[in-house]
This record gives sequence, C-alpha cells and structure tokens, in this order.
Amino acid sequence: MMADIIKQIYDAVVEGKVEEASSAVQDALNSGLEADEILNKSLISAMDLVGQRFGEGEIFIPQVLWSAKAMQAAMDLLKPHFTASRSKDVGKVVIGTARGDIHDIGKNLVAIMLEGAGFQVIDLGVDVEPEGFVEKAIEEKADVIAVSALLTTTMQSMGDVVSLVKERNLPSVKVIIGGAPVDGAFCEEIGADAYGIDAMDGVRKVKELLSR
Amino acid sequence: METSLNHLCVPRFELLDESQILRLHHAALRILGEVGVKVNHQRAVDLLAGHGAKVDADNIVKIPQFLVEEAIRSAPSDLIIYNRKKEPVMELGGKRIYFGTGTDLPKTIDLVTRKVRDTTSDDVILSTIISDAMPDIDFIGSFGLPKDIRPGLHYIKCFELEVRNSAKPIFFTAGSEKDLNVILDMASTVAGGDEELSRFPFLIHYSEPTSPLTHSKEALAKLLLCSERKIPVNYTPALLAGSTGPVTLAGSLGVAVAEALSGLVIHQLANRGSPIITGVAATAMDMLHATVSYSAPEFRLTHSAYAELFHYYNLPIWGTAGCSDAQFPDLQAGAEYGFSLLSAALDGANLIHDCGYLGQGFIASPEMIVFANEVIGMVKRYLSGFSIDDAHLALDVVRSVGPGGHFLGEKHTLDFFKQEHWRPSLFNRENLPNWIKKGSKTLDQKLVEKALEISKTHKPEPLSSTVSEELDRIWDKISSQMEK
Repeated sequence: MMADIIKQIYDAVVEGKVEEASSAVQDALNSGLEADEILNKSLISAMDLVGQRFGEGEIFIPQVLWSAKAMQAAMDLLKPHFTASRSKDVGKVVIGTARGDIHDIGKNLVAIMLEGAGFQVIDLGVDVEPEGFVEKAIEEKADVIAVSALLTTTMQSMGDVVSLVKERNLPSVKVIIGGAPVDGAFCEEIGADAYGIDAMDGVRKVKELLSR
Repeated sequence: METSLNHLCVPRFELLDESQILRLHHAALRILGEVGVKVNHQRAVDLLAGHGAKVDADNIVKIPQFLVEEAIRSAPSDLIIYNRKKEPVMELGGKRIYFGTGTDLPKTIDLVTRKVRDTTSDDVILSTIISDAMPDIDFIGSFGLPKDIRPGLHYIKCFELEVRNSAKPIFFTAGSEKDLNVILDMASTVAGGDEELSRFPFLIHYSEPTSPLTHSKEALAKLLLCSERKIPVNYTPALLAGSTGPVTLAGSLGVAVAEALSGLVIHQLANRGSPIITGVAATAMDMLHATVSYSAPEFRLTHSAYAELFHYYNLPIWGTAGCSDAQFPDLQAGAEYGFSLLSAALDGANLIHDCGYLGQGFIASPEMIVFANEVIGMVKRYLSGFSIDDAHLALDVVRSVGPGGHFLGEKHTLDFFKQEHWRPSLFNRENLPNWIKKGSKTLDQKLVEKALEISKTHKPEPLSSTVSEELDRIWDKISSQMEK
C-alpha cells in the first residue's frame, strides 16, 4: 500500500501529471507517511529520472516543465509537514535577467529546472539592476545569484553583480551566469563562480557550487 | 499569332488562399484589439491613445482595426534604396528579391585557422569587402559584433567600417537612440546632409519588438527616430514558437503579425508615409536543446505565410535565408542554405538577410557569403524560368538539324546558350580526370580560397578624403566622450 502510493507519486511526477501528483501526495499524507520520506523516496528520484531522460534526448522541454510543475504542486503540499532538519531547502537561488535585458525565456527555463531539482527560487524577473540581485540575496539569505543575458551589450552588467557581491563581502553567495553569449572565458574574466552552457548544465553547476 | 499563350514559364509557389490570408489578418487584429501590446515608451503610448487606441494599466495598448488598416495604407508600398553614390539599387516592394548578410555575430570562423574565435573589427572589414565583391549580395550588414570595440561604440564602428569598405546599401543595428544618432550623423556626412540622406537613403536600420507582444523603450525610441527622420527602418519581431509564442505555427503567426503591425501603426502615426520594411521571423524553439533554429522547416512555412500576407498588404517585406544551425560550413549548412534561399526567393521576400550565418545566429562564416552568392545565382536562374515562344521552341532549328544530327554548331545554340544556361562559378562541373588533375578540390576548399583571394585583391570604391576625414572626426569625438 505504502509502496503503491510512493510509486503513484513517482509516476505522476515523471509523466508531468499535476493533479494526480497532488492527490497522490495528499493520500500519502493522509495515510500517515512522513513528508521527508515522500520527498526522498518519490519526488527526488522522479526528477532525477526526468533529468536523465531529458539529458539523453528521450523527452523534451515541455515534458520536463510539466514534471517540474507536478513536483512543485507536491512540494506545496509537503512543505508544512517537513521536519525541522529539512527546514532549509536544498538551496536558495535569486534569479533574473541582466540589467537592460528583457529576454527571459532562458531564465524562466533555468528557474523551473531549479525548482524541479528542489531549490527554492526567487525570480526577480527581467532587467534587474546589480544592486537588485545583491539586496535580495542578502534579504533572503540566498546561496546563489543567477544572472541571465541574451545580449552582448547587457552581459557586461554581470561583472557588476560579481563586484558588488565582493564589495559587500558576501563570500557565501555564489554567482552563476548563463545565456547564449556567455562562455567560460567571460565567466573567468568577470570572476563569476560558474556559468551554465544551458539550463540543465546550469542546475548541475548550482548543485556543484553548493556541494563545495 | 498565338494570343492566348503566356510565353514565360516561371516557378510559382503559393501557400495560402485569400480566405486563409484574411483569417490570419483577422487573428492578428483580434490580438491587437482584445489582448493588446505592451508599449514601454510614453510618446508611443500618447500617439496611440491620441488616435483612438485604448490604453490599459501597465501601458497595455489595444489597437483598433481602423488604425492598423490606415497604417497599412499610409506606409509606402514601394521603397527605393540607393547605394552610397545615390544610384537606385534596390526597389523594395512587390516580389522583387534582394539578398544580404546580417549583423552582430559574436563569433567568426577564421579563414586561415578554420577555428571559431571572437569576432573582431577586422572581420567586419573582411565581410564587407567580400559582400562588396559578390554580385548577388545586394546589401551588407556588419556581419560580426567586434569584441575589440567597447560596447556602446561597436555599432558606430561597424557602420563606419562598412561605409568605408563598400558603396552598397547598409543594413545596421544600434544599441540605443544615442549611437543611432551618431550613425545617422555619419550617414548624413556621406550623403551630404540630412535632406540628401532622406532623399537617397543608402541605409536601413533594424530594430525589433520583443515577443510576446512587447515593444521595449529602446526599440521604440529607435523606431520613432527613424520615422521622424524618414530613415528606412526594418521593424520585425523574432518569435520562437513554443516559448515566446504559441507552439502552433498559426498561433505564432497571429502573435508575430500583431507585433509587426502594432510597430507599423506606431511608426506611421509618428510620421505618415515614412519608409518601413515589415514582416516577421517566427521559427521553432528546439525543445530538446532550447536553441533557436534558423533553419527549421517550420520557419520556412511561417516565412511563406507572412510573406503572402504582407504582399497582400502591398508593403515592402524582409526575409531570412542563407543561414544554418550547423556550427561549421558542412553538408548540413549546404542543405539548409539551399533550402532556405530557394524558399525565401519563391516567397518573393524583398530584403532577405542572414546570408553567411552559421551556428543559429552566433557564428559568422566569411566563405559562406561566397557560398550564398553562388546558390542565389542558381536560385535566380531557376526562378527566371523559361520561355516557350517560337524562338525558344525552335521547331525550325529542329527541322533543319533533323534526326541524328547535332545542335552544337547551330547559330541558335550560339545565340541562346548564355542566357538559357546558368554557369556556376564555384560548383564543380568538371569530369573526374580533370577534377583530379586540378587538385581534387572540394567546394569548402574553393570557398576559403576564393574568400582569401577577394580579401587580398578586391578594392572597394573609397570615400572622398573630405568625407573620410569627417568620419574620423565624428569617431574621435564620440569615442573620447565614451572614454570619459
């Protein structure tokens, strides 16, 4: 019975079925399962499989997004029930597009993928001033600031974010950058902690940054 | 005399019938009237509001049908673009086709090392010289986005390098109103004053709305500036089906057309009759790699559809072709160039840009400009079709040669072979032994050799020394201002 419910949640998330995921999680809680157990035994492994399938080209972005939505719906139900030891999420990320840049498809994708991976994501939207990122990171005690840019003109402000983090002396806050014009050389040039080649790589890099 | 016969047999392509064109038009009108567009520029909002559009919270503007249809009527349907020497070289409108490169590619495939590296200002000069030398490249763009020039100045530098190295019309971008003004000052210097520049425009500015349904402040500032100064402007969205637009092609077209039309309305309200090139780019986002496909077959379908719609509006339209998602000039690139160039030409798009693009709009390939030129020649020959009048049917020649003879020595052959048969300049037609004897060169080798040869030998017509010095002065002034 327990195993069945865990399997149901797992399948619902893998298949991106939001309502089924919610109702299965509700059933699991009603039947006395611990929130931590539901998270660890079904949700995380389900999203791992989704990530793996996406990486292998078996499923596509819209499918990943719907799995992430199912994951989020499940998390919303679980959150009030987590034990104190899990009160801190996997990590907290403040995300937005660089100053002057209103192209947000890449940023949205990364935000959803991060949420899917269990991160708490604070999305500041588009055209965010460097101060905006840093202030929010301080306020929210975030672990990571993620900045996205599509334009070579706007990517310059990513360097300002890095400088500001240093200026404010926030060694625990990591800065990750991403977007089509960004590459390893630019990341090094401005002194960012990491850059993501694409959304999946971004999530991978955020995980790496936080496990250091 | 045969009177019922049209002697010219030309390839034709038609995707939409009139009811389908109207369906698309009405969908765009409904989006504009019911959903509206976000207009992040106060003067543009005021213009729209002052002419009957409804402004909601957050500057969401709902545009009524009559404003759209007035703008379609007031915009010029035929737009003459001149070269730097004030000779008319492009008549944008109808189904006349012109081809050119594009702008702002951050990476370049080095002609010598064959490695992808950052684009520099030398690459801008090189691509301009190659484009200048290519007979079927009608207009030029910066092609590259030079890394050695600081942001804020690079669009100005690109324009300067282009105008120095080619007399062909220039298709250009700018970061903001500020550098656009400097570029227009340079253009005005070349033309001999603002009035001469708007009389003989040799340049087209590119600005774009942001999908879905948003006009940024910067884009509108540039659009309005061009409208007021009667500088031809290309204002067209680049929409991604499935992310910045509906995943379906029809849905994407409705949104993209609404974006283009709302830009047209703003442009015409600012200055009725001012020149504009319009249209859309609506391609598919790759759902596995989250990349923008420049060569998806879906892109060709939306291209044909909007082309027919904007031909119906009788407005000059832009186009996209001669570009590839491949990261290197390989077989994929060849196939995608061929397919897209033929398709865009059949669509009768007027200002077809992006020739020489690789890597989904990130990599400039100088030798692929040469390749595009070759394919365009082939496509143009195909589109010119053939005649079946008496002289071309040549029954009298057939009669005189008769069965078993040959046509090689006929006067008819001599008279017609050059105009009837296209001859490649780089594609191989040699037989095997001769091809081996001449070094077994593949096309990619020949393209690189040709591009290098042009870079060494082609001498574009220079600017007069007075104009050249004046451009130096403008550049020195703006770059020293920026350094401060």
